[in-house]
Order: sequence, then C-alpha cells, then structure tokens
Amino acid sequence: MYPPKFDYYRASSVAEAVSLLGAHPGAKVLAGGHSLIPAMNLRLADPGVLIDIGRIDELRGISALPGGGFRIGALTTHAMVAGASELPAVLTEAASMIGDPQVRNRGTVGGNVSHADPASDLPTVFMALGATFHITGPGGSRSVAATDFFVDLFTTALQDGEILTAIEVPALPAHTGSGYAKLFNPASRYAMVSAAAVVTVSGNRCEAVSVAVGGLTPKATKAVSVEAALVGKQLDEETVAAAATAVSGDLGDDILGDIHASAEYRRRMAPVFVKRALLKAIERAK
Amino acid sequence: MEITLNINGRSQTISAHPTDTLLTALRHAGYYSVRYGSDDGTTGAGAILLDGRLVNSETILVGQAIGHHIETVEGLTTQVGELHPIQKAFIETGAIQSGYSTPAMILAAKALLDQNPNPTEAEVRDALSGILCRETGYVKPVQAVLRAAAYLRGEDVPPYEGPEIVDATYIGDLPSSPDDKISGPETHVTDTPATHTKPKTDVLLTSSIPETRVVGKPETKVDAVKLAKGNPAFVDDIELRGMLHAKLLTSPHAHARILDIDDSEALALPGVHAVIHYKNISRVKYASGGQSYPNPLPHDQVSFDNKVRYVGDRVAAVAAETPEIAEEALKRIKVTYEVLPAVFDENEAIKPGAPVIHDEDDTEGIHDAQRNIVHHIHAEVGSVEQGFQEADYVFEHTYYVHQVQQAPIEPHIAISWWDSDERLVIRTSTQVPFHVRRMVAPLLGLPVKRIRVIKPRIGGGFGVKQEMLIEDIVGHLTIKTGRPVRLELTRSEEFRSSRTRHPQTITFKTGVMKDGTLHSMEMRVVGNTGAYGTHGLTVQTVTGLRGLSSYNCKHRKFDCLVVYTNLPVPGAYRGYGGPQALFALECHMDEIAHALGMDPIVFRRKNWVQAGDPMPIAPLLGEGEKETVQFVPVIQSCGLNECFEQGMKAIGWERKYEPGWHEVPGKPHVRRGLGAAMCMHGTAIPGLDMGGASIKMNDDGSFNVLVGATDLGTGADTVLGQIAAEVLGVPLADIVMYSSDTDMTPFDTGAYASSTTYISGTAVKKAAEQVADQIRERAALMLGLERWHDIRLENRHAIAPDGRSVSLEAIALHSLHQDQQRQIMATASFVSMDSPPPFAGQFAEVEVDTETGQVTVTKLVMAVDAGVPINPITASGQVEGGMTQALGYAHCEEMAYDESGNLINDQFGPYHIYRADEMPWMKAILVQTNEPTGPFGAKAIAEIPKDGVAPAVANAIFDATGVRIRRIPFTPQRVYRALQAAKEGEAH
Repeated sequence: MYPPKFDYYRASSVAEAVSLLGAHPGAKVLAGGHSLIPAMNLRLADPGVLIDIGRIDELRGISALPGGGFRIGALTTHAMVAGASELPAVLTEAASMIGDPQVRNRGTVGGNVSHADPASDLPTVFMALGATFHITGPGGSRSVAATDFFVDLFTTALQDGEILTAIEVPALPAHTGSGYAKLFNPASRYAMVSAAAVVTVSGNRCEAVSVAVGGLTPKATKAVSVEAALVGKQLDEETVAAAATAVSGDLGDDILGDIHASAEYRRRMAPVFVKRALLKAIERAK
Repeated sequence: MEITLNINGRSQTISAHPTDTLLTALRHAGYYSVRYGSDDGTTGAGAILLDGRLVNSETILVGQAIGHHIETVEGLTTQVGELHPIQKAFIETGAIQSGYSTPAMILAAKALLDQNPNPTEAEVRDALSGILCRETGYVKPVQAVLRAAAYLRGEDVPPYEGPEIVDATYIGDLPSSPDDKISGPETHVTDTPATHTKPKTDVLLTSSIPETRVVGKPETKVDAVKLAKGNPAFVDDIELRGMLHAKLLTSPHAHARILDIDDSEALALPGVHAVIHYKNISRVKYASGGQSYPNPLPHDQVSFDNKVRYVGDRVAAVAAETPEIAEEALKRIKVTYEVLPAVFDENEAIKPGAPVIHDEDDTEGIHDAQRNIVHHIHAEVGSVEQGFQEADYVFEHTYYVHQVQQAPIEPHIAISWWDSDERLVIRTSTQVPFHVRRMVAPLLGLPVKRIRVIKPRIGGGFGVKQEMLIEDIVGHLTIKTGRPVRLELTRSEEFRSSRTRHPQTITFKTGVMKDGTLHSMEMRVVGNTGAYGTHGLTVQTVTGLRGLSSYNCKHRKFDCLVVYTNLPVPGAYRGYGGPQALFALECHMDEIAHALGMDPIVFRRKNWVQAGDPMPIAPLLGEGEKETVQFVPVIQSCGLNECFEQGMKAIGWERKYEPGWHEVPGKPHVRRGLGAAMCMHGTAIPGLDMGGASIKMNDDGSFNVLVGATDLGTGADTVLGQIAAEVLGVPLADIVMYSSDTDMTPFDTGAYASSTTYISGTAVKKAAEQVADQIRERAALMLGLERWHDIRLENRHAIAPDGRSVSLEAIALHSLHQDQQRQIMATASFVSMDSPPPFAGQFAEVEVDTETGQVTVTKLVMAVDAGVPINPITASGQVEGGMTQALGYAHCEEMAYDESGNLINDQFGPYHIYRADEMPWMKAILVQTNEPTGPFGAKAIAEIPKDGVAPAVANAIFDATGVRIRRIPFTPQRVYRALQAAKEGEAH
C-alpha cells in the first residue's frame, strides 16, 4: 500500500518548521510518522502537506535540568525513554510497554502526546508526573501544564502553526515511588484502562500522591478523588484498594468502549488498575 | 525522480519519490526480501534496519530515510552459497517455514545481537515481538537467535538435534487375524455397526519401525537457503514489463441488488485499461472452493454478480498503469444499489421472514433457498432416541464458536500474462494450482490446455488459499487488456473479502451409563457459511465426523443445517470443521465427567477409540456428491495412551491434585488451572485426494523430483525429497525438488486435508521405487549380472550381493550416453481409501486474573501420534505453529462487526494474533507409531494441532475457577462477565 498524494517539506530548524506550517494551513507535522503514515496508508488521514521535523536534532534527547527534573525533546523515541534509567520508573515502564521494537525505535514522545490518542500510555504518565509541555509557534514559545495540554479525544492545546518542542518532568522528592499498570488491548497493546501513580511515603503514611487514569476516558484524567482518599492515610492494601474505588468519581460520563472492552467493563476495571499502579509505586517508594 | 539512498553500505541511486514508502521503493529497486504484510507496520514483514535499528519500511517515507543507513538481508552476504551465522542458525533450527517474514526476523536478530551478544530468551522474544509469525509459534525462531548468538560469540555449537521422539510402546489392540477385520465392502453402515469383540493383541512398535538414513532425520529444509537469504521466490518477486495493477471495488452493503454500474468516468481516466463488472463479464456459475471434480454444489458464485451479499463482496475490478490510478478509477465507478435487509446470525437466518440471500434462479443444489438453508446433513448409526431411553443419564450442552481469519502474512496475490504461445500464465499464491486451472478455465472461456498455473513459494495459506479466489480477476483483466496484470489483496481486503472459519452453534446431547460408558450421542449443528456455500458442505461434514468418531458409542446421530448469512465467506481453514467440533466435544466430555464425579481423563480413556475400533459414522459423512467411503474404516494405529502419558508428565498434571496448587503465592486474585483435551483428526480425504510424482535421473546421479504437491511453507518439498532420497539411497542434497506448476509437474489435488505427506509422499515413494528398479537393472547390465532385484541402493551406489558396486553417477552416464540409452525416469500416483487418524493429547495450564477476567495461558503441551515423522523438525514446527493459531482461536482472535455487517477489525492492529513475547511455554512431543498404510509409517500432522487448545484452555479455566464458559474466545471481558455471573449466582 502507499499513502495518498501529498507534498513533502523537510524542516531543518524549529523556526523553519513553524514558518512552513504557517505557509501551509492544514499541513501535518511528521515526526516519527508511526501514527500518521499508517493512518495515511489506511486512508484514515489525507493531510495534503507533510512537514518533516525528523532532522531537527535540537528536538532529540533527554537532559537533566539544573534545578532537578528532566527535559525530554519532542523527537526522543520511546526506545530512548525506555532505556533512560534516570527517568521516573513510571515513565520508563510505560515507554517500554508501547507497541513493539519497531514502534519504539521510530515513534517519538512528542508525536505520541500531540496525537492525543486516548488509548496512549504517555499522556496518563505525564499527567501523573505533573509534566510541563513546551510549545513554539508563530507567536513565540509558551508552556502548558499536562492538565491543560490534553483537551479532548485527539485534541491538545496545540494551536494551528504550533509544534511541541519538549516535555519537562519535575524531579521526584525523596521516598517517592511511581508505577504504571494497564489493561492491554490484546491486539494493539494500547491501554484500554491505564493508571499511573506517584506516591511519596513517610513512614507507612501517604505524604503526597498523584494519580492519573487513561484509556477509558477521552483524555488522560487526574484521579483527584483517589488522591483525596489516600493522602495522609496509612498505606495498607485495604486502604489503597478502598481509595482506588474512588476513581469512579473522576471518570465522568463519557467512557470509551469498543469490541475489546465495553464501557461498562472498563469502568469496573478502573479501580483495579489504579490499585495496582498505587501498590507498585508504594513498593518502589520504600 | 532519482534519489540516492545508502543501502547495505553502498550509495545507490534509485527511481523513487520522497513521498513513497520505503517498502515500495526498496521492492521496486529489487530488494525483494522486504515484504508487504500490512499497511500500518503491524506484521513487521517489511522491517529493515535504519541506522542499525529495526523499523517498518511501510511506515517510513523515502524522504525520511535519505542520508540514513539502510540494511536489508541482501546486504548480509555478498556471494552465492555464503550464509551469515544468523541465517545459518535459522536454517538449522527449522525456524523457517514459509520464509515470508524470515528476512525481517533475521534483521531483528541482527539488531539485537549487534547490541547484546548474549541475550536472554526474554530479550530475544522482545526483539522478535514486532514481527508476526503465523507459522512457527516462535519456538524455533527464538532457538535460532540464541544459536546465532553462540555462533557470533565464537562458541562451539553442537549440531542441532531436533525434537525428541517417543516410541509408543503400546498402540492398543489390533485385530489378531485377517478374519477379524471389520473393514471391507461387506460391512454396511446404515445399520448399527457390526458388533465385534476386540482381540487383545498388544503391538510393540519399536521393533517394527525400519532403520532409515534420510527419513525420520532432522534434515534442513530444501528451500531454506533461498528463504533465509530473501532471494526472489514469492509471487510478487517479479516485475513484468508493461504490468498493470488491478484493484477491487467491493460492496459497502451487506445485501443489495446492483441496479446499474456506470464505468465511463473510470475508463476516461488516463492510465486506466479496463473496468470489469457484471455488465461485461459472462455469467458462469461456479463454487470457489478448491476441491476435486465435480465441485460440490451449490455453484452459487459468478465472477461478477448483479447482487452483493456481504460487505466486501466483489462489485468490479480495474486494471491501470499504477495502483494509484487504479484506486482513483474505483472512486469514479458509479454503482446504483438497491439496499436489501441483511441477516448475520445463523440461527436468525433460518427463521421465517429472514431476507433470502440467494434468490437467483440459476443456482442449483441449494437445499431450501427460501429459508437460506444450503444443506441439511443427516447421519445416524443406531438410534439415539432409543439410546437416550436406555442411558442412565442424559446431558445436553450448547456451544458457540466464532469467526476467525486464517491471516497468512502474505495476502492473496496473483499475476497473469499471455506467454509467447498466447497461453495464459497465472502465477499465484495458491494451495490448489491444478484445481485453479480447471476451475478458472470456464470462467475465462479458455480451455484448460491454454492455461498454466504456477505456484512459487507462498507465504502461508492455512486453507484460505484452498480456493480459486482472485485468479479469475487477473485472468479476465489480462484477456481484456493483453497486458500482464497483478492483483494483491490489501490486509483489509484479505480480512474482508477472502475466506474465514465457519461460525457454528453446536449442541451435544449424550446418554451415559452409570459406569461412565458413553451410550448415545447426538450432535446438532447450525453452521454459518456466510454469503456463499464454498466448503460449506464439507466443513460441516467434517465437524460431524470429528465430533462423533473420537469416542466409542453405540448410537450416534449428526444433524446439521448449513446456512447462508450476509457475513464474509467462511471457507477452508486448517482443521476444517474439526476445531469447532472438538471445542464442543471436549468441553462436553469434561462437563459430563465432572457431573459423574469422574476424573476427566479417566472418563475419556474409558471411552476413547483405540486401534481396532471402527469409525461407523465415517461412510455417512463423506465428501462431495458421492459417498467415497464405502466401508467402515478401522483404526490401525493409535498412540493415544502414550500421548496422554507423555503429555501429562510434561505439563505436570498431578499438581492439579495437590492442595493449594490452584492458588498463586502472592497473587490472591489469580487462580491456576490445568485442562486437557483429546484430539483425533484425519489424513487426507479417502477416495478423492490424489498426488502424482515424476522422478528423473540426471548425469551426475542426482534426481529431479517433480510433484504437483503444493508446499505452502510446511516443508512438504523437504519431506517428499527425503522420501525419494531414502528410496534412492542418496542424501537429500542430491534431490532437486520442483513443485506445483501445471505445465511441468504431475497432477496433485493440492495442499489440504493433511494429505501431502501421506498421499503425495506415497506417490513419490512409488515413483522412486520404479526409478530404483530402473537403476538396479542398469547396474546389473553394467556389472554383467542376471538378477537385479537384490541390488541395494546405498550411499550413492548400487551394490550387488557379491559386494561389487557402481556409482549412481556412472549409472546415469551409462544410461544417458553410453549403451542402450534411456532416460531413467518414472511417474506414479497414489490415492487412498484409508484416512488413518492421527491422535493427540493437548494440555493447557492457565492463570485467571479474577479481578479482570484476563486469562494467561502459561503452558501448552501437545503430544501427537502422527505415525513416523518423516522430518521431526518440520513435524514439530507444524505442532508448535498449529497450537499457536489454535491459541489465538481460543483466546483473542475474533472478527467483529458493526450492526451493518461491516468488519471493524480488518487490520492486525485490532485483530490480534500472538506475538513472540506473549507466548506460553510450549512443548511438542512426537509419539511415534507405525501406520501400516502410510509411507514409512507416516500419518498426517498439519491440522490436528488446531483441535485441542480451545477445549483444553476452557477446561483449565474451569479447573481454575469452577466456571464453565461455552463460547470462545476467552477475552478478559467475557471471562470477567462469566466470573461475575457465577459470583452473583452463588450469592442468590
């Protein structure tokens, strides 16, 4: 098969990419191409113009930030993230579960989150980590919090003509663990239900907690009810399980369902995976 | 335009466009090892290395690859005869079946081993996880990568041994004298089978299997080198000058009448050469199933109809200069549909008022067209009603089996052209080249003599290519345009518009005596044959045969409706009705055992068939129009007891009885369970399947073996070569195999019904024996001997009883050039009235996550009695690969539709087949018996591995949770619901 006809431009800098995007309304940014080109081959997308940013080296790589935390360039591949042991476990763990080696070798973090597929792993993780998204567009650069970056099904805060350049994840405090758990789509390996948790432990008490769920909601969603139910509590399994059930209050009415898992089933699975992510995080915090 | 790419270390200028996919560009430039399997990267067949990392070439644009280092398998070696250590390891371990995705796997291995010279098995599985294999079950590819790693580390690597073979020391009771034989035309079956007492004669096997030199040995495949090197070998690996590209227009409606087609705008598009549809192609009725003449009725298809009966049904086809133009032309064909109501469920389709799917007046042989009933199959031995009255208990359960697709990684593809004699050549990926030639001829209006069908290497078939599926389309288009025409189905079309497995609703009603003896069994089936009846009769008769032959039982009855619906068309799929029957049967047996309080294996053993037992229902469930089996067949070899003994040992069956074993330490939500199923299949269709072979001797004492048998990746060419080599006293290297070309080889019915080793193998053996006699005669002439019968052929020599010998080379030269010249050559064919069943014990261990319903199959063991395995490596490869497909059937594969009958999961993304990193621990055990009717004692092995996994997993889930699920596949959601329902049931 082959993609439908399109015009192809290659940008050698972020500025050039932004200018090409400005000149070609409706153009799509091509990073790794592992969501876009399959969609074009299957005739699910027909963008007309592609702007290839794959050669902008400044967008690639992971660097430690002076004040703690890490900057992950938008073109960093899933394989690079999976192999970066300095990153929080929840992130490397989720990245290593994505697709297969070919997808991880070619697919990029920036492409993944910009696509905002609800079944994608990384949005949930970045949400739980409280990541910041750096965006450059015709009007200059700006930063957006994860909670604001993901807007809806396949929709982000990226405006026409803007590209995502990097994602920053903050440093985790001491005695903090993180974990990711998902119900795999048996076919695509995408998440049907996913949960990411970051827990700071003091003694056996929950000092701070951040939980996000994805897969079953149109966008990655903060599980604030779970957080509220857990913070300050003793971290025994029963308490964690009870807190996890609070997730039903965070899911909203719009639960996704498909041939592999109905909305009802996914709703029932949410507390199970929240609990599993929390237990993993707590174990790692110790 | 010209683009320079760095390929295999060389800067190379190729003709391409930056917006082409790398797959298209590389193939166009002659890198045929890079293969199409999917459009979205999900098969990995098109994987290459980019800067040393494995990537999918179909999802990368040429523009993205410029300046990067591209590697393909062609770059691993520079010389003919040279092999890279990874290629060598793949060949030695039998990791190559069809070889279609082998180059991608070899590159995946290289990417891994370049980074990590000493990987763990888990790392190897992860590295291979992006390349789907429908054939091997990944067991041997993983072994190959580990072996290659050892080679590359410079270690001494011992020869590859192949799987262990266990002799069945006990094969049951055989008739003690010819008088006890129950077979023969004198025993008729319409009555209760002739009662007989089983004479007690244990047969020890080990002594009866003769010593062999090539047969039974782990020879490497004869086609392995070309496949490992990615040499052009498949249908698509040629590019003919002036070749046009065909595309199909298929129906968006599940049921509609075509009122009109206007192709004028399509034809006006520059580059379009032909548009064909019902208005310009003659209406010739046929049945597309690749079966023997006369093809079973109904003949309910035509090349292009004025009615469509499922989403994906043919409407029109276009031939154009490029695929892009052809696709554009499709959009310009104006079709006026009258949309009709549709029905998808087999049980709904037979209700009054359901839409009539075949309302045309020119289809003969539909049982009741108004009720969508294609066939009503009825067979009874004894009287089940009487049996139920006599029985102490009667059990009845209904099971549902779903629709799945064969999903070979190479989709259907055919290329046709006129040769210089103006004969039509069709190069096609088929299992049935001779059937295709005969069946396509009337559709094209050409006599058989003007058609040549060539089957090159094919990338898997599993039954979906036992069909004349697209050959008529390329033929029509070549006839219309005079040009070569290529048609390759896309992955979506392969799912929607090729063939699938029949869904069925199966009810077993069984009467049992207090001591556990089966007394009366009734099997009622409603089989869904989709929009057309191809294979509909015979798949369903096999369901009945398999469902009612595995256990001895006085009264048996099969009652089956085969029903039209508006689903994509089921056809042949490895197992052919058997997996459906066995799921129902082996769950039902487990349920009865549980109800009786008996151990499920003890209960089975009490009732299962043994050598000497008859198959009384077989004559009533023959194939096609005629009852080909005129007598009650009797089982002559059966290693079931040994299979169960070996299988139970290998899986650790006794753990099931240990207290606490069903719980998993540290995982309170997980329950463990073990399940088993017995399997029995057939070997070829008796009285119908015929294979032919010709063998000719060359100047150097080597031989050409020409067979019509169709190797679809299974290793058939290798097995047939081994049989010839054994008889002729030469190593396999002296045999040059050529298979399946209707101009060049003798006839063969093709690769189906587990027939090739048994039928074609016997044909090869017979031809080789005739050639051997000619060689002996020649040797006697050369040695001045009167008698030639006692000359031995061994080690490339003919050896006289007095010790003198002549080399085969000397014999060949003498015969071809020196004295009383003649070509040493013979042709033979074989058809069998027997269909000796192979047997197996299938075992599964599962873990059920009771919080999510997720079932993880942790172990699969199958011990198979397939007679003498001619090649243990290819035989075990069949078992491993078959079990893996069967696991998909049981666990995760399912064609899903929206309410309009539109297939939702038409890609490997949402249609899941198992990957390397998801596989359970798997073991194939070959239990050896000596089948007296088979070549060197062989029976079939290809299909039986499909039969037992689903029921074994179902029984294991029951063992783990106490919950019985009578519907496959065991998706998390389905299992979760069943567990919840059981919990709620308990609560009430």
